[in-house]
Amino acid sequence: MILRGSLAIWRRDMLVLRRSILSELVAVVAYPLTIYLAFGIGMKGYIGLVDGVPYALFIAPGLITMTAVNAAYNESVWSLWFHRRVQFTIESYRVTPISVSEIVIAKILSGFSHGLIKGLVVGLVIFAITPFRFPSENLVAYLAFLVPGSALFSCAGVICGTVMDKPETIGKVEAVFVMPLIFMSGLFFPLSSYPAAVIPWVRALPTTALFEGARQALVAGDLPYAFLGQVMVTALLVFIAAVWIFRWKLSE
Amino acid sequence: MSTQLHSSSAITIRSLSKHYGGLAALDDFSLEVERGSIFGLLGPNGAGKTTLIRILTTLMRQSSGEVRVEGLDPRTHGREIRSLIGVVSQENSLDRYLTARENLELHARLHGMDAGRYRRRIDDLMELMGLSGRQHDLPESYSGGMQRRLVIVRALLHEPRLLFLDEPTTGLDPQSRRAVWEYISSIAGSMTIFLTTHYLEEAEHLCDRIAIMDHGRLIALGSSQELKDKLTGGTVYQIEFNDQVGRYAGLLGGMACVREMQVSGQTVCVGLESWECLSEVVTALNGASVRRISLKERTLEDVFMDLTGKGVRE
Repeated sequence: MILRGSLAIWRRDMLVLRRSILSELVAVVAYPLTIYLAFGIGMKGYIGLVDGVPYALFIAPGLITMTAVNAAYNESVWSLWFHRRVQFTIESYRVTPISVSEIVIAKILSGFSHGLIKGLVVGLVIFAITPFRFPSENLVAYLAFLVPGSALFSCAGVICGTVMDKPETIGKVEAVFVMPLIFMSGLFFPLSSYPAAVIPWVRALPTTALFEGARQALVAGDLPYAFLGQVMVTALLVFIAAVWIFRWKLSE
Repeated sequence: MSTQLHSSSAITIRSLSKHYGGLAALDDFSLEVERGSIFGLLGPNGAGKTTLIRILTTLMRQSSGEVRVEGLDPRTHGREIRSLIGVVSQENSLDRYLTARENLELHARLHGMDAGRYRRRIDDLMELMGLSGRQHDLPESYSGGMQRRLVIVRALLHEPRLLFLDEPTTGLDPQSRRAVWEYISSIAGSMTIFLTTHYLEEAEHLCDRIAIMDHGRLIALGSSQELKDKLTGGTVYQIEFNDQVGRYAGLLGGMACVREMQVSGQTVCVGLESWECLSEVVTALNGASVRRISLKERTLEDVFMDLTGKGVRE
């Protein structure tokens, strides 16, 4: 079976997650929840409605998505770096009869699983403390974005964890590249806030497609196919790149 | 080239080269390792040992030359080779977030072993290596020797035909080193063992045949005794005089059967063509005030230093 190795490594990652799930979730929930309480509840009296919905509702889908994609990215990047550079477990996997592709697919699956689990937990917490309720079809449409979005960031994490040998570089890339991409994609404000000349550029970003699409899906129950297609195609391309780069790096 | 090439050997290497840019890590390297033997590879840092092991274990491709591992070409049969080999790398590479048993179970799954088989095998090997009582502990809580034993268990789990041990006892205390040696000796014959080490005593103690390499080339090959005999030119005696050392050193230096000679204080160290020359030397020294004549055993370290030099490598 071609994915036997992927399954074995993914099971290993899930076993480790299960052991530390409580502490992981406390840490993961704390950040978006703080932002939600500060902006969504603290500022709602000043901001009122955005695009016709209360501000607390406007930012909720983005915060859940941000948690999921951040968790997917962080799990992939740090796990791969740690297993490659510190623990040398990648080396021990490579002398077993599995392929390099199976290893990278396992790491992408693990990052994706982390993202999905943590995003859903943050979603449950936000829904528990707010009066907003959504029809089940909205949730399904929202998952249609969350799944490829987590996969996309997991693949991006694999690329960074593969090519970066120093941990400080990983931190810098996250601060300079990943977080701005997330924050500037309409997480806290509508795209119409940008100058008209900038809007087409921002709309072209896959993160904008992810965050805008996810919001429209969860809040309005829409399924914007253009955004969804953009996220899926980007995820596929980054997946291919991640597998190729990982194979290339390990063949060095 | 046919994959049947030298199929009676566990490893066959022909004119192997590996270049990193302009640097040759392996240069026209050839070697044959017999099935069921313990083979030792020695060399100073940077000699090319790790590069060779990485090529043999399919982690790296050669620039040129031919390699067969159990008759298979690593470039085209990597997966098959990896199912036949066990590897103990220099780093322990144990997963510190899994217990010892979970480490082994993961490895068994990567080898496609079914649960019934690997559970029994893990029980047996953990018992054999004295790790049963600690199998549910994290490897971090193990001593260095226990971690090393666990890595060896991991490499043996799938019953490999060929075991690569890359400096298996580096960093271990003498007791743990002995324990690893005993275990390696106990499995000798059941599989081929390819060992690299910095401890020459280890190679001497364990290996049937030893290769010494430097600058990517094979420079000596044979059993420990063959290497000592071949490369140090027979026997060396130390002759300690009471007086007139210079006179007798001149006399010995002029003898045809004396290959080499060193004078240190009252002692003259002579290397003879063979032990039969000793009587000739004794006759020549008739009347000399000799305090002691002793045989100086050559060690593998002498051979190694002679061949690779005494300079420290980076």
